[in-house]
Amino acid sequence: MARVYRHPLEVLLEDRIAILDGAMGTTIRTYGMQEADIRADRFQDASKDLLNNGDLFSLTQPKMIGDIHRRFLEAGADIIETNTFGATSIAQSEFFVEDPRERGGRKDPAFYQKIIEDASLQQLAWDINEASARQCREWADRIAEDTGRARYVAGSLGPLTVSLSNSPDADDPGFRVVTFDQVKTAYAQQVRALIAGGVDLLLVETIFDSLNAKAALVAIREVFDEQGLSAAGKQLPIMISAAVGRGGETLISAQTMEAFWNAVKHVKPLSVGLNCSLGPDLMHPFLSELAEKAEVAISCYPNAGLPNPLSPTGFDLGPEDMARSLRGFAGEGLINIAGGCCGNTPEHIAAIAKALEGVHPRELRERTQRKAAEREVSA
Amino acid sequence: MSSSVTAQTSHSREFRPLRLSGSQPFTQQDGVFIMIGERTNVAGSPKFARLVKEGKFEEAVSIAQQQVENGANILDICMDEGMIDGVAAMTRYLQLLASEPEVAKVPFMVDSSKWEVIEAGLKCLQGKGIVNSISLKEGEQRFLQRADSILKYGAAAVVMAFDEQGQAASYEEKIRICERAYRLLVEESGFAPEDVVFDPNILTVATGMEEHNNYAVDFLNATRWIKANLPHAKVSGGVSNISFSFRGNNKVREAMHSAFLYHAIQAGMDMGIVNAGMLEVYEEIEPGLKELVEDVLLNRRGDATERLVEYGETLKGAARIGSPEEKKTEQWRLGSVEERLSHALVKGIDSYIEEDTEEARVKLGRPLLVIEGPLMAGMGVVGDLFGAGKMFLPQVVKSARVMKKAVAYLTPYMEDEKRALEASGQVVKAQGKIVLATVKGDVHDIGKNIVGVVLACNNYEVIDLGVMVACEKILERAREVKADIIGLSGLITPSLDEMVHVAREMERLGFQTPLLIGGATTSKAHTAIKIAPHYSRPVVHVLDASRAVPVTTSLLSESSPEFIRQHQTEYEALRKRHAAPPQPVISIEAARERRTPIVWRAEDIPAPERLGVQVLKSFPLETLREYIDWTPFFHAWGLKGIYPRILEQGGKGEEDGQGAEARRIFADGNRLLDRIVGEKLLTANGVYGLFPAGAVGDDVEMYSDEQRRQVTERFYFLRQQANREGSEPCRCLADFIAPVPSGLGDHLGAFAVTSGIGLKELCDGFRADHDDYNAIMAEALADRLAEAFAECLHKRVREEWGYGRAEKLTPAELIHEGYRGIRPAPGYPACPDHTEKGTIWRLLDVEANTGMKITESFAMWPGSSVSGLYFAHPEARYFSLGKIGRDQVRDYAARKQCSVAEVERWLEPNLNYDRETGSGNGNP
Repeated sequence: MARVYRHPLEVLLEDRIAILDGAMGTTIRTYGMQEADIRADRFQDASKDLLNNGDLFSLTQPKMIGDIHRRFLEAGADIIETNTFGATSIAQSEFFVEDPRERGGRKDPAFYQKIIEDASLQQLAWDINEASARQCREWADRIAEDTGRARYVAGSLGPLTVSLSNSPDADDPGFRVVTFDQVKTAYAQQVRALIAGGVDLLLVETIFDSLNAKAALVAIREVFDEQGLSAAGKQLPIMISAAVGRGGETLISAQTMEAFWNAVKHVKPLSVGLNCSLGPDLMHPFLSELAEKAEVAISCYPNAGLPNPLSPTGFDLGPEDMARSLRGFAGEGLINIAGGCCGNTPEHIAAIAKALEGVHPRELRERTQRKAAEREVSA
Repeated sequence: MSSSVTAQTSHSREFRPLRLSGSQPFTQQDGVFIMIGERTNVAGSPKFARLVKEGKFEEAVSIAQQQVENGANILDICMDEGMIDGVAAMTRYLQLLASEPEVAKVPFMVDSSKWEVIEAGLKCLQGKGIVNSISLKEGEQRFLQRADSILKYGAAAVVMAFDEQGQAASYEEKIRICERAYRLLVEESGFAPEDVVFDPNILTVATGMEEHNNYAVDFLNATRWIKANLPHAKVSGGVSNISFSFRGNNKVREAMHSAFLYHAIQAGMDMGIVNAGMLEVYEEIEPGLKELVEDVLLNRRGDATERLVEYGETLKGAARIGSPEEKKTEQWRLGSVEERLSHALVKGIDSYIEEDTEEARVKLGRPLLVIEGPLMAGMGVVGDLFGAGKMFLPQVVKSARVMKKAVAYLTPYMEDEKRALEASGQVVKAQGKIVLATVKGDVHDIGKNIVGVVLACNNYEVIDLGVMVACEKILERAREVKADIIGLSGLITPSLDEMVHVAREMERLGFQTPLLIGGATTSKAHTAIKIAPHYSRPVVHVLDASRAVPVTTSLLSESSPEFIRQHQTEYEALRKRHAAPPQPVISIEAARERRTPIVWRAEDIPAPERLGVQVLKSFPLETLREYIDWTPFFHAWGLKGIYPRILEQGGKGEEDGQGAEARRIFADGNRLLDRIVGEKLLTANGVYGLFPAGAVGDDVEMYSDEQRRQVTERFYFLRQQANREGSEPCRCLADFIAPVPSGLGDHLGAFAVTSGIGLKELCDGFRADHDDYNAIMAEALADRLAEAFAECLHKRVREEWGYGRAEKLTPAELIHEGYRGIRPAPGYPACPDHTEKGTIWRLLDVEANTGMKITESFAMWPGSSVSGLYFAHPEARYFSLGKIGRDQVRDYAARKQCSVAEVERWLEPNLNYDRETGSGNGNP
């Protein structure tokens, strides 16, 4: 049971604050890509607009995506994320399958059963995940070699476009559009492809519905089991990150942070934390709560403030603002992993990395406990 | 090692609580028994079993609610019954409970003897629950498999003392099996030991079989042993089993349950499955019965069972008498019908919604008035609470569902009314139709779906076109169904441009339909500035699901022109505001570095003659008259100019023009004032006091006496933050009071005066005679008298404070404030927070001393009242706070111990950011 093997990231986190990259979606937008660019050959016949299906760029514009990964790595990111936030059959179906509601129908488990069984969507999900993981791997290894500092690839699992905790039917609060097993299946397909592409760890992120996240965690565990990783003690580390509203609850399922931690703690994640939604300022009290309750590393990669459609980046805060906020969190001993979500460009990450250089990470209780245990054994 | 020694060591051992969660965390408290509700178990409640069998799951939800209200910490949910499809029932019921915020808070215990039912249950829990149960009945391999699955889903587990040989009845069997299970779980599966909950079998006693007599004792001993020998493991059990042989005799059963629990908790039992609403208090069991019951439970004598059975016979028939009622607190039922409806909506309670709606319908006369009146008001409260982060989405949806019930109840009445109107030849508007869509390019619609639910619950017909919907499709469909409103949603930034496109198209195609905009990246500002200018009909931003109904209703109601006019004014103001660049602010820390530079010297701190509260009743109006500053009197009448020059304008002889008008109202005013003073038509009351005070940061502490040990009140002040050029300090009223560390004993004064007592009667009298002119005149004069009172009192206070005695100023000079010291008022530029008036009210006991009140919105009643603070330092001066940043707002909220949202609401005009979107230069 006790894992003797320790991932190098676990060791790194004891010494310093690891830097995570910034936003993919909002950074892609700065490249001025058009519909034709994202379609390239493969998707030229798609009936719906694809421009905002940013994950597809990993297949059709790998150079641009590679450039973004490179820039984040050069800015100082220790961990980069795959461009796979929406790369599940379920999320991709929104772009490739007609919405039954357009003709007065509805989305329900029967609809999503077809989606997860659809061979072309499965293939698409595989291709995006595998390709993106491979591209990240290449860049991470290249920059690691150039700089002599190891870099890691986190496979990103987004929250999906459906909720397991919420009913969209006014007459039936017990209705769900999708089942736990369907969500789990879609995530499992994604996880297999990410591992095949060579990710170092898995990141379940922007969790607004804890039950969706639990389905992802069960999927991960089942893939580990089927690939013999669990038995060998070689599970990939898991990072977990929630998105909360102003009251500090997960945005859709309204779970408080301590309740959330109790619900996911069993997977013994590398880290737990918050990202997206509120920006650093409003996130602070909930991050403190999590840092107080959780024994594992704490990650924090907020949006660059709140969405502000009137600002050129779409978000309020510039690189220095973000750096100052995260430096403040680090000073309070709250974080072990820091980065940025929507609105954070490579310039933001460079500022954050610089501000956190030489700053002590949050003390890991697990380490303290292990040391105590070691003393007990030797005594 | 003897068992008693082990027990002691275990006691001193670290307590590792069982941690679970629903939407809220649950942490076991050391020494506090955990109640697991049993009524949502088909075996624990015949009513629940019946509802489930009949498929009435919604009704069954109320049983879960009652359990939580009655104090159950965890709910045991069990569908094990031959006629029930366990997997389907478990799934359906847990999904309904997830939509019931009050219930979803607590952790659930998924209870079944069938593994597939347990697994179905685990797939519905967003939190960490408990599996009830697993055992070694089918061997080690199966046991470990189950344990592994439970770990995968993340739950604690109840382990029954059962193995391949069967159920453990004796003490020895119980501890042998529990120890074996514990080793397997903790050492092989990697279970956290505190997540292992043993159920060492509570078996029925007093069955008449001698071998059953020691069952309770065996359980108690096994519990003690487990707590002593299996670190951190928990003990649970189904308590009602113990008394099965007394079925039908509730009094004996309840006594047995509570006596058994009493001993089991002593032995270390952590939790139990009980009916939380029906538990006799151990101390209150009748002593005779208690002895009989304990004889049975503790197996103290051979004839214990016979004696209890005999006693039980004498009770039969009277069995139900004296059983404690299920507790229920329904204080809220005592309020007015409006309050009850509001409470029901906010709390999402539908039990009384029909009778309350009916009462409101009868009271208000028309069904529509109930919807647009109390129901909408209630939903408004829901919206406010949601906006302030005090309610969460599932609760909002729950409230909407209660709303739906109320509307459904009213619908037949509205249809009757409609038919009656049609019969009388009037045009009737149909139910509103709303087309909703997530715009092209965007796939996010969970939020939009919630808006759809909330609208549908409010009697709107919602046509949801789904996600990635092209502009043409939206508009085509809207035309086809004759939509009353179109709602667009989007989460990602590019959707904003698509929304602009839709607005342009609507203009081009001559649409008349109002357009609603919503979604995470949208904002009021963006809607006003970027979208609304492209479409000549209303374009309204809807902040969240809770706002959808008020906006829609306003747009479609009879009073929509008024709403639209207000809305357009507001958006116009927003456009203007954003045209100007946001004013930059410096950080609050930097602002504090630049506080008003004052060298604190003892000679600048005079000691007042007397401290404490002074009351002035019926202050002479003729004295106040001398202190009137007439200039604002003319402003009140719309005349611009300075008294007395305003009277000279246009020459004395001229009959028209401002000068003549000024002379006329001045003469009329003085005539009325003669009457007011002569006949004492108004009464002026006031209260003031000087108190020992000291500045602490930006706060000022008020002390009970010169010992300065006891802080009685605290004033909270705000500091200028707008980027001030050069050497101008960033002022704060606290700067003018000597800081505590200076050691100088400074003072702060407070006052509240009114000249408005009697004003309402006076004005009502004029109005009754249709003399609006004199009514307005009376109000203008009363205002002047109140200001005069404040001025006059300030002079007196300066004298009593010592430093003002030499000033020798005429009333006219006073008006120009040529003296030392200031009297800023809460709600005015130097301290714009109106809520600080509350502190003045407490400090001076204003209401009791003068009859002046403050309303919920911190306005003073009667009108013509003034309140404020006295600062004496020569450097004290008036200033205007100007814009402040989010950092100070947060700091201020923390100091005042209220929410940031509340502070933002009171200080909105001073924020240098938009409190709804958060955009703007919030923080430096």
